[in-house]
Amino acid sequence: MVRFENIGMRYGPGPEILRDVTFTLDPGSFTFLTGPSGAGKSTLLKLMYLAEAPSRGLISLFGSNLSRVPRAQLPALRRRIGVVFQDFRLLDHLSAFDNVALPLRIAGREATNYQRDVEELLSWVGLGNRLSARPTTLSGGEQQRIAIARAVVARPDLLLADEPTGNVDPDMGQRLIRLFEELNKLGTTVLIATHDRSLIESARAREMRLVEGRVIELRSPIS
Amino acid sequence: MNLNTRIMPRDRGAGSLDVVIAVMAFLAALALGASLIAERAATTWRTGLAGRITVQVSPPEKSHASLDQQIEAALSVLRKTPGIAHASLVSEEDTLMLIKPWLGSDALVADLPIPRLIDAEITPGASLDVMSLRGRLKTAAPDSFLDDHTRWLSRLRSLAEGITWSAYGILALIALATAATVSFATRAGLHAHREIVELLHQIGAHSGFIAHAFEWHYFVAAFIAGAIGAGLAALLYVAGTGAELAGFEAVPFLPPITLHLSELAWLLTVPVAASWIALLTARLSVLGALSRVY
Repeated sequence: MVRFENIGMRYGPGPEILRDVTFTLDPGSFTFLTGPSGAGKSTLLKLMYLAEAPSRGLISLFGSNLSRVPRAQLPALRRRIGVVFQDFRLLDHLSAFDNVALPLRIAGREATNYQRDVEELLSWVGLGNRLSARPTTLSGGEQQRIAIARAVVARPDLLLADEPTGNVDPDMGQRLIRLFEELNKLGTTVLIATHDRSLIESARAREMRLVEGRVIELRSPIS
Repeated sequence: MNLNTRIMPRDRGAGSLDVVIAVMAFLAALALGASLIAERAATTWRTGLAGRITVQVSPPEKSHASLDQQIEAALSVLRKTPGIAHASLVSEEDTLMLIKPWLGSDALVADLPIPRLIDAEITPGASLDVMSLRGRLKTAAPDSFLDDHTRWLSRLRSLAEGITWSAYGILALIALATAATVSFATRAGLHAHREIVELLHQIGAHSGFIAHAFEWHYFVAAFIAGAIGAGLAALLYVAGTGAELAGFEAVPFLPPITLHLSELAWLLTVPVAASWIALLTARLSVLGALSRVY
């Protein structure tokens, strides 16, 4: 599903943020990405969701070597990835419903075709009665749940989440992890960057630790 | 309005862009109207004078024949000339009316040796040998002068074409300025909404999808602003028509500043053109900016 080989990443003439990063995410796997602040977790995620290109090394995504993928085909690859951004990145002038529906519109689906799906998903994350609410009128936790709903609504092949439970209470955190696990059972490969140890312990998934730009495999899924 | 067209929020400060586009559209509509008036005036002048010749008979200097004898002789030559459908003497009153704008109508004018004019109409489709006719007129009436309006028509044509092409030039400059303004505003909008563009890009939107969100926004804004500008210009021309009907002559000898209904309809092209210029520049600006993103 995802393969990084000797990836190095630096911004401009700055120091290398990622150094010789090599790992593989198997299809259908569930992985936590941990590490101290500044270790390069966000940069690693940016490379995975195709926001940046690496300075060196090879990334293979969905079986395609990214260095050989034509630029015109990148949007189609991005549509197979759901991303929960740490800062949510919701569109404040759109309703909760429209924010969640955005990936479906971009994929070309008609409103009549996805209305029920979006409403059901918003109900699942506890926002069934806030469909028309603008993000600015919602709490941080509610905004985070909209961001998660938007990331999963198109049933992505790969789900990347950056601190997805940082703004919600423990109960809602567990509920959201269950949502990720349900998606994972349906075949979605999941990678969650988090500091939340209780979350990591509860899911008993693979843990990949990033220290000073290098990946250290800490725990396999069955341990 | 569907979600695709609502993705971009209305820009803060977009009102000033609307004002600029409305002013541009107003100027463009004025220039377009001026070119239409120039075209119409040139056509009127051409059709009014084409197919006619004028013979001017001055009070005798070169011969002993009287003015009346020379007029009769000139009329006789004209009436016998193949290709001349009709020839008639312009009355003294009408002649004085013609020179009134230049010389006035006081008693002094009556003492001037005013030439008499003969107006002749050429048979449609007939070919007239002007040089030969001029010679025969000189023989019969030595103080006559044949004017086939060639020089006057040529100058009128040049003047009308000059006005028309100047108006087209102004239109082109206004279109260029509108395109540059919209392009600048689009780039500013793109910068202001960089996070939205990045998000759309990130969740798999094609550049065309993002460009469409922008271009639609500017298309609608430019159409509304363009319609307001062109509407104001149309009102000005309608007011010109009203002034003409009331008997007010803006500039003597020049055509009135009025547009016929069919010509007013041409002003509708201004908001349409403004909106398409806005759409295309917005699209090109957005695609250009996105082409530099991974």
